[in-house]
Amino acid sequence: MEERLLHVFRNTPLGRETLLQSLYFCNTLAANLHIYVPKATQFLMYFDHDAVQVDLDGSYLMSPATAVAHVEALAEQNHIKPTFLTPKNYTASQLPDIPTNFNYMCCPRSISDLSSKIGLGYIGPKVRRIVKSSTFPVLITSPSFKKWKSICVFYGGSNNANKALSWGISLSIKSGYPLDMFTYTDGRNEGYFDEQIKAAEMTEKVKRHVRNWHKISEGKFEESLYTVDDDALLVVGAYGHGLIKDFLFGSKMETIQSWMPNNTMLVGPNCTYRGA
Amino acid sequence: MNLSATLTNAKLKWAIFRSDDRLTVIALAGFVGVCSGLAAVALNRALHFMGTALHGLYHHWWAFLLPAGGAILSAFFLNTLLKERAGHGVPEVVYAVSRYGGLLRFRSSYSRLVSSCLTIGSGGSAGPEAPVVMSGAALGSNIAKYFALKERQRITLVGCGAAGAIGAIFNAPIAGLVFTLEVILGEWRTHNIIPIAIAAVTGTELSRLLQGNQIPFQHQQFSIGLIDIGASFGVVALATIVSVSLGRLLKAMNGVASKSRLPQWVRPGVGGAAVGIIGIFLPLVLGEGYLSVQDMIQSSFTPGLSLVAFAVVAKMLATALTLGWGGSGGIFAPSLMIGSLSGLVYYRFIDWLLPTAALAGEGCFALLGMAGLISGMLQAPLTAIFLIVEITGSYEVILPLIIVSALTSTFCYYIEPTSFYLRDLIEKGQYMLPGTDARVLSDLTVRELVETDYLSVPNDMLLKEFIDVIKHSHRYLFPVQDRDTSKYVGMIFIDRIRPYLFDPHMHAVLMTEQVMDRAVPAVKPDDELADVLNLMERSRLSSLPVVESNRFVGMLSKSVLLDHYRKELIVQTGTG
Repeated sequence: MEERLLHVFRNTPLGRETLLQSLYFCNTLAANLHIYVPKATQFLMYFDHDAVQVDLDGSYLMSPATAVAHVEALAEQNHIKPTFLTPKNYTASQLPDIPTNFNYMCCPRSISDLSSKIGLGYIGPKVRRIVKSSTFPVLITSPSFKKWKSICVFYGGSNNANKALSWGISLSIKSGYPLDMFTYTDGRNEGYFDEQIKAAEMTEKVKRHVRNWHKISEGKFEESLYTVDDDALLVVGAYGHGLIKDFLFGSKMETIQSWMPNNTMLVGPNCTYRGA
Repeated sequence: MNLSATLTNAKLKWAIFRSDDRLTVIALAGFVGVCSGLAAVALNRALHFMGTALHGLYHHWWAFLLPAGGAILSAFFLNTLLKERAGHGVPEVVYAVSRYGGLLRFRSSYSRLVSSCLTIGSGGSAGPEAPVVMSGAALGSNIAKYFALKERQRITLVGCGAAGAIGAIFNAPIAGLVFTLEVILGEWRTHNIIPIAIAAVTGTELSRLLQGNQIPFQHQQFSIGLIDIGASFGVVALATIVSVSLGRLLKAMNGVASKSRLPQWVRPGVGGAAVGIIGIFLPLVLGEGYLSVQDMIQSSFTPGLSLVAFAVVAKMLATALTLGWGGSGGIFAPSLMIGSLSGLVYYRFIDWLLPTAALAGEGCFALLGMAGLISGMLQAPLTAIFLIVEITGSYEVILPLIIVSALTSTFCYYIEPTSFYLRDLIEKGQYMLPGTDARVLSDLTVRELVETDYLSVPNDMLLKEFIDVIKHSHRYLFPVQDRDTSKYVGMIFIDRIRPYLFDPHMHAVLMTEQVMDRAVPAVKPDDELADVLNLMERSRLSSLPVVESNRFVGMLSKSVLLDHYRKELIVQTGTG
């Protein structure tokens, strides 16, 4: 069955860049594009264990008369027939409930702010909640449309990193783009990561699908990021650690998203890999 | 014992504790009861504080603006600051239980407390019960989320929050338990009753600890005779009329308000100002009205029959203006007040008509009116009976209470088949109790049930080639797709083409498109399962093709559906 990507459309130039990214993603993976053109500044997403209220800013409701036409024009240029999503259920009679049974969701770095916060170094609280709760990975787009020609999985050896690797392999197979792995050893023996791959029973898959595995042991993590291709789609496990560990040692995902201008796919702790 | 052994031991005990679902829920039920009890006490204290603070202002000419100001502040807080839509509270909790396994936003655990305090404290005609139910339920839901509980357990904790809140605000644990089972969960199951009872008791005890063990309305002795039981049938008639009228008035007022072009945060101000104007002439319509109810139960309510009858209409109007225009609060307290006024009207009318009739007293009929209104509005007779008995301590009136509650809810059911809380949900098809057919089907999707291991054949395949395909397949259905465009064009049923299969002359002559069935209805992956099942019934097929963007995706069969249906039913009902 064809995979589906959810896109919340913002009828602005910045929204157009995000939509172009979604269209490119759908074309590359032969996925269906489901567009929600909001009619109110709030909507709810009910995940298995969380209800996330997304508060949009006014720009999402801009020029409602042209919103659908703009989507259709861009989609036609990209030979995609989008499905427009109409909410069926409403919380408190007025808040639309948006379904969550998609395979991917596309978000700008902040779903509720204008350009001031769409740049690097910021992920809005709602996007965080969605990533933490969702069963699908979330595509965080680059500020302006940027094609990706390879996939790079950031691998740190954790369970979430294994999950991200599975998604990376799956994306590579579907898109036909080469897959690279990136590991900052952080003082660990390089063999440790091979052991983790072996423990996750992914050794064969890695041998078969991964083009290069960059294991960087020198310099700071931030310095090592220069190794990553500029046209790669980054696949990163997110929020796999507890709050205290993240507070004490920092989050690699936060560093990556604040340093890398690439499109990034965040694989949250509840994200389920459904097989390639 | 060293530290690591102690830790291991503790981990083991925790694992055993977590592995027993009932223990986990029972332990957390107490905690949820404490939290919801605290929320109820906080709202109670805040309302007392506001009542005291604003009391000195009501003699000013501009006092009618106080309810408007409170309602506007309340709406601003709820809609603009917290970005949470207004509502009575209870329907949102029922909706969450019904559709999303009790998932409620964390902000709901405090938003209604503040907003209802502003609305009611400034004189709006609404009750604090629905907001505390919302608050308690949201606390229960978020505690369940924190401990990553299953859906069934989460629903139970949502019920615990509601029961703890009602128990604490009325000092009535049984009413809290019964209200939750009757109104919020809509089901009576043993695994729910124990934790919810614990939460109701915990919430009530906490309230008693912080506010003292006082029943809201002072106990009165009533001597109930046969004549009172006979007269209670009249209360039934009046309570039915008033309940239905109040429900319709609220709906009509809501309709008027929703057509208004005013910004959402201003609308409650309109209703509030109108209530303030009514309050100038009849101050007893302002606020929750518990003091007046107390007077009526004690038979010390002085206004005469016509004024009390006028007060019934005025309170109904004030409640509709407050809630219909978007004020924050519930219908519980206004129902108690309107019910007691109605009971009083009825008593005084009978007393005027038949001065020699030795009825039990107007306090008794005020209680019966309260029970009638609660039963009529909520269509929850048990809640009404237990609530009135607990908050007044009047066990003597239990017999007429049962008559009034049972009959009023029955008559109201025939006139308005749904309760005030559930009306909107049922009209929109959003009320689905866990374990019911509609709810189980709504939780399953075509997308997750579709079987994709079907082999498609091209439309121009010769029958003899097709027979080779059949030989290597265990299926009896074969989708046919256009060789050039890959579009789905029809379906071959093996049992329908049997004559051709056994006729060797046809093998090199017929092609798949000549034997396929083009009239088989197809479904889409996003179709509702209830609609798909209806389609299966109508077309008398046990499997239907699933088609997306003109491409064959797979087949959906009744047997797979039944298999998943059963699993989902077990998840929702917690039964094996």
